[in-house]
Amino acid sequence: MAHPLISVKNLDLYFGAFHALKDVSVDFNAGELVGLVGDNGAGKTTLIRVLCGIHKPTKGEVWFDGTQVKEFHPKLAIDNGIETIQQSVGLCDNLSIARNFYLGREPVRKILGIPFLDFAKMRGESRKVIREFGLRDNVSADDEVERLSGGERQSVKIGRAVEFMNRVVIMDEPTNHLSVREREHVNELAVQLKEQGLLVIYITHDIFQVHKLADRIVIMENGEKVEDARTTDMTADELEEVIRQGGRKVEKRGAA
Amino acid sequence: MVAAAASDTAAQRRAAKRSPLSVAGFKKTVSRHAEIGIFLIAALLILVFSATSDGRWANAYNIGTILQVTATLGLMSVGVALVIGTGEIDISVGSTFGMGALTYLSLVQQIDPPLAALASVAVGAAIGAFNGLLVTRTGTPSLIITLGSLMIFRGIAIALTDGFSFSVPYKMRSGAMYTAFGGDSIGMFNTGVFWLVAALIVLTAMLKLMPYGNRLLAVGGSAASAHSRGVRVDRVKLQAFILCGALAALGGTLEAGKLGFADGSMGRLMELQAIASCVLGGCLLAGGRISLIGAVMGAFVLSSIQSYLVVMGVRPQWFMLLLGLIVVFAALGDRKLRAWALKR
Ligand SMILES: Nc1ncnc2c1ncn2[C@@H]1O[C@H](COP(=O)(O)OP(=O)(O)OP(=O)(O)O)[C@@H](O)[C@H]1O
Ligand SMILES: [Mg+2]
Repeated sequence: MAHPLISVKNLDLYFGAFHALKDVSVDFNAGELVGLVGDNGAGKTTLIRVLCGIHKPTKGEVWFDGTQVKEFHPKLAIDNGIETIQQSVGLCDNLSIARNFYLGREPVRKILGIPFLDFAKMRGESRKVIREFGLRDNVSADDEVERLSGGERQSVKIGRAVEFMNRVVIMDEPTNHLSVREREHVNELAVQLKEQGLLVIYITHDIFQVHKLADRIVIMENGEKVEDARTTDMTADELEEVIRQGGRKVEKRGAA
Repeated sequence: MVAAAASDTAAQRRAAKRSPLSVAGFKKTVSRHAEIGIFLIAALLILVFSATSDGRWANAYNIGTILQVTATLGLMSVGVALVIGTGEIDISVGSTFGMGALTYLSLVQQIDPPLAALASVAVGAAIGAFNGLLVTRTGTPSLIITLGSLMIFRGIAIALTDGFSFSVPYKMRSGAMYTAFGGDSIGMFNTGVFWLVAALIVLTAMLKLMPYGNRLLAVGGSAASAHSRGVRVDRVKLQAFILCGALAALGGTLEAGKLGFADGSMGRLMELQAIASCVLGGCLLAGGRISLIGAVMGAFVLSSIQSYLVVMGVRPQWFMLLLGLIVVFAALGDRKLRAWALKR
């Protein structure tokens, strides 16, 4: 492979005076499943929000497929094929599932040159996906998202990302709110996407689970990248110890 | 296996708890059609006003007048409703209305009425763009920005007229073109009513059936979520402000066409009526949930009340007080009604 699909170089990001990302450099390759782990507030969400265009870095570079990213906006990231399952945003409570599903990229049928929403397609596709994700039969594509449970919302977000999967799927704690069965489903999907050649970035607190799925684990702590290891090189226990020690390398690694 | 079985029963239990489908279905109807309340209030007021005014309220001439007022206030209200839909507010529309009226009257003697109306709408759109750009570029609350422009453009209107009024000579107040912009009636309907109906149909289609409407409501529902899905939030808000300004100026044009003159105070306090129309009509001030037909019905209710007070000979100094009280009671009634509907 000539160049990584996404390359982050010496990234710094400040929220006012707060230094949220500190000189982060990391590469992500197509066909790779990367686990991104670390304590609460370590900066995982902040890092992927730069990749999906929500935050603009204060300093440093982001390269996508060999070109440097100059303008940061979710629209551009999505157009480049980056689908993101966000941790806390992504659904508008006041809109139906079908409308949320296609928000920002609504399919239209032109009548006299005027773009009208293609409701048949919007309903059909989103209905297919909510069935696939095991939502109860009495949930319809026309229901407002406000009425959905936490797990149902999460399923809609995941189903949407998978449906539009393109080159990159970023999952920020995707198994939150999900039942055991749905969690397994999501993990299988993540592996499938990777096998189809996509880059999958998977954020979680469950190092043991993601160790089984991922090719590589990146650990963040306090806004810094403190570890970047192939899962064949470090065991889940060793990685957990790194997290536990707040990023400081531990004796055991050398000993092992 | 065990886990799967457990989540199965949980799902069944959840399903069972929601099983009285009729209640859920009815709740859905009420929550999706927040404008039901204003329709009932309108029906009630029509009955009461007709019964208590001895034919002075419910006659073709008076209803025609009410509809003409509804048209100008209604155009302003649907514009405000669109801005409310994005989670912002525009309280400058009264001044925009005045500026639109003055622009139309100052031009209609030199150029054709359609061109004068177009210029007036362009002035309104420019005021909307001024508001929208300031709100989106600076992140200042729209209440403050549009409060500022309410005063700025009222000031300009007063300065422009300088104590006099703009008017069109009687002999020029005729012809199909002049009639088309509020200048006369067709049957009992002032031509402004047709503009309102057309705007209502077009804007409702835009809101419900087109991508822009989906994005507008998404921005009001959750700007952060809309942004994360690639919606250009600032652009959507700016466009809503521009539409709002253009609609307010169109209202002003139609009122100017009807009256044939205007002074610097044209449209004063109408912004408050427009916001009241929206709220009565079921628009949520927090954004994301609006009803354009509801806002128009709100405008109709306000103009009906106003007209009732006039035909009943209430002295003008009591006017604001009574209108305010009735609005408060109507709003309370609407809330009660919805709560009652939800309980059943
Ligand atoms: N918009 C913001 N403004 C100010 N501070 C922010 C903002 N977003 C995040 N932060 C701060 O940046 C730090 C990193 O947050 P981030 O959400 O990236 O953590 P995280 O690693 O995803 O944690 P978690 O596992 O809890 O989701 C936190 O201290 C948070 O308070
Ligand atoms: Mg996070």
